[in-house]
Amino acid sequence: MSRAESGSPGIYHRSVVWLLFLILLLPLLGTLVYSIASSWSATILPSGFTLKWYSQLWSDPRFLAAFGQSLLVCVAALVLSVILILPLLFVVHYHFPRLDALMNILILLPFAVPPVVSSVGLLQLYGSGPLQMVGTPWILIGCYFTVALPFMYRAITNNLQAINLRDLMDAAQLLGASTWQAAFLVVLPNLRKGLMVALLLSFSFLFGEFVFANILVGTRYETLQVFLNNMRNSSGHFTSALVISYFLFVLVLTWVATFLNKDKSQ
Amino acid sequence: MSRGKWLALLCLVPFAVFFIVFQIAPLVWVLIHSVQSEESGWGMANFIKIFNSKFYLQAIQHSLEISFWSSLFGIVIAILGSYSLRKVDSRLRNFVNAFANMTSNFSGVPLAFAFIILLGFNGSITIMLKQAGIIEDFNLYSKTGLIILYTYFQIPLGVLLLYPAFDAVREDWRESASLLGASSWQFWRHIGLPVLTPALLGTFVILLANALGAYATVYALTTGNFNVLPIRIAAMVSGDISLDPNMASALAVILVGLMTLVTLVHQWLLKRSYHVAR
Amino acid sequence: MSFVSVEHLQKSYSGTPIFSDINCSIAKGEFVTLLGPSGCGKSTLLRCIAGLTPVDGGKILLDGQDIVPLSPQKRGIGMVFQSYALFPNMTVEQNVAFGLRMQKVSSDDSNKRVAEVLQLVELNDFAKRYPHQLSGGQCQRVALARSLVTRPRLLLLDEPLSALDARIRKHLREQIRTIQRELGLTTIFVTHDQEEALVMSDRIFLMNKGHIVQSGNAQTLYAAPVDAFAAGFIGNYNLLDPDTASRLLQRPISSRIAIRPETVGLSLQGELDGVILNHSLLGNVIRYRVEVRGVQLIVDVLNRAPGDLYADGQRVALTIDSSTLCEVA
Repeated sequence: MSRAESGSPGIYHRSVVWLLFLILLLPLLGTLVYSIASSWSATILPSGFTLKWYSQLWSDPRFLAAFGQSLLVCVAALVLSVILILPLLFVVHYHFPRLDALMNILILLPFAVPPVVSSVGLLQLYGSGPLQMVGTPWILIGCYFTVALPFMYRAITNNLQAINLRDLMDAAQLLGASTWQAAFLVVLPNLRKGLMVALLLSFSFLFGEFVFANILVGTRYETLQVFLNNMRNSSGHFTSALVISYFLFVLVLTWVATFLNKDKSQ
Repeated sequence: MSRGKWLALLCLVPFAVFFIVFQIAPLVWVLIHSVQSEESGWGMANFIKIFNSKFYLQAIQHSLEISFWSSLFGIVIAILGSYSLRKVDSRLRNFVNAFANMTSNFSGVPLAFAFIILLGFNGSITIMLKQAGIIEDFNLYSKTGLIILYTYFQIPLGVLLLYPAFDAVREDWRESASLLGASSWQFWRHIGLPVLTPALLGTFVILLANALGAYATVYALTTGNFNVLPIRIAAMVSGDISLDPNMASALAVILVGLMTLVTLVHQWLLKRSYHVAR
Repeated sequence: MSFVSVEHLQKSYSGTPIFSDINCSIAKGEFVTLLGPSGCGKSTLLRCIAGLTPVDGGKILLDGQDIVPLSPQKRGIGMVFQSYALFPNMTVEQNVAFGLRMQKVSSDDSNKRVAEVLQLVELNDFAKRYPHQLSGGQCQRVALARSLVTRPRLLLLDEPLSALDARIRKHLREQIRTIQRELGLTTIFVTHDQEEALVMSDRIFLMNKGHIVQSGNAQTLYAAPVDAFAAGFIGNYNLLDPDTASRLLQRPISSRIAIRPETVGLSLQGELDGVILNHSLLGNVIRYRVEVRGVQLIVDVLNRAPGDLYADGQRVALTIDSSTLCEVA
């Protein structure tokens, strides 16, 4: 990199990076300005600024309910994911390393099969009958587990490889620990940070999930994204305040995750 | 097999159950029902109907066009961006990288709303460009509008995937090449680009798949009135008009088929290129 | 008349000086080694000569011409990297031909030269392979061939053997030296391995903290270190401060003394009494740790027959030949 430090190439790269930043920032900035504008239509800039849209939003019981329900569904889905994925990872990497190849194919499925496609089957299978779940948060929790799976599996696998699971387990067992003790006392604490990062990042994209929530549940258990979509006919300032509140929340989460991540690498 | 191993296998059961219920079973249902129809029972009737219907063909065509162009624009911007990101000082780099990370979550409904504010009929950029005389009119709710919108959410994903890929181009190759007399341009032509090709293709394929399956953004923007595959599929299982889950399944199979095809082409291209050990 | 000469070369990274005034000269066809611990500036010096790192001041003359203003492309210098730096998308043949392709050499001529140089490094059977199909030693030979084929005026080797295992390393260093002699190629070799430096070089520049501490042939560096650093870096010198040295030799000594372990004699009778503390077998040499007059010395003795071994705790007599003592700064 040493030769690129000086002169005109530096300016070129800096401007490209700033341009990229501006492109990414623009929609957010527009929404932010709109959310604090008292009114803004058919002009380039708004006529005045106010915080009334935020106070209106944060005192709307339907919004608060949707926010809470979103939180609940995401947290529940992540708890479920951890309960299902941690033992899986441990067993795969410690007992059956060959299964990792199979898992790497399986975790492609949530990518290869878009939520719209899964929804078709889910609606029919669980719309009635013994496993009737459509319209309840339960189906969302299950679906969100599949959404989070590929990411969690990859992230924790990388972590496991970094801590050298087999050597750690062997060392703990030679020192007299049982498999369970070794897993809980040695391996799990070493995975804690990686797990936290994976959970925070998964949370931030589950929180923005719309397809499953809208098609499978809709207004019967309204999540934040569905609420946002249903508010489309109300004031644009109100929805903008909603978008910015949502984004700030996700921003804090990702920021904490990056912070944890950085701490880990040092 | 020892008792420990059986116990270990037992730990996999809950995972398998949930994965089958929420991932495998719906997919199997879709596959089976795509070859069934109310009128004629088992057979390819659904597919024949799709390929004889201008409406469905248009949905497929729109999906492909929007996905292709948005992936192309997205990857070009991501290549330029992530290459330059590697060349600027670390403070700016970390900041913009973290920001790109965050904006990768800014898609779907909120993104559609943000674009309406900026580029809608009364959006501030639309008005600005109109006043400057650059455009006569702009319709965000058209194919062009959707391509711009899709491109936007492709950029952060592209940067996220490509930024680490540039690690594959090692500095000592560049140094070696320069001592052997190669200019910067010759280095990229003969070594840099060939080495990056698998990563570029892979990223392009992921972007393509991402765009093909995208539903939330276009749904929120047009309330389901723009004719692309995911909208058609959802409309036939949850819309207000005629419900036809079998037909939806057939369209879903086509969507998954397209994505599989793209992946297979990618694999084939990868096999034709050389393999980098490491 | 020196072929390469470095004059008052300066380099610092963001305020921290790497070296501030390096001077050295190298004759045509000479094989010199830059030897020193990691961080001493030897690799930076090499990269400055190659033009990969810009210098802050000073001159580098190659065949009478200052090459500092030239880009690496125009210097006519070949370089081999520790990490091989082979282009993974090209076969062995294409890698080697790359430099000729950049010079727009006709393909007939190019094919001939590539074949010749592959013959030289004994890799003609591997011409169609890709780098990832080769072992480390083979990769490094390809890298060597690649830098030789353009007939560089100067060859730079940046720790080319460090990534290889011991057996291959020994074989390859002989091969490099043979080829270098055959072609009469002026070569600068960077290493932190004293054995490599002693075996291969016509002349060694010993570097520490951005300075050339001592230069000379292997014999000079080994037998007459100029200071404590040189003595500590080469060989396994016993380094004694003036007080300890005076106590051991029973005469006033005002400077530090370095004693090479193989110059001390061990026998059963003599005037200098000591006790064997412990020993370790290094193959052809037995290394004893001996205490004598409250001073611990390392003594190397050739391992002739098992019967000659002194047991730990045994009383022995030492002979120290004062002509082999070496005063160091």
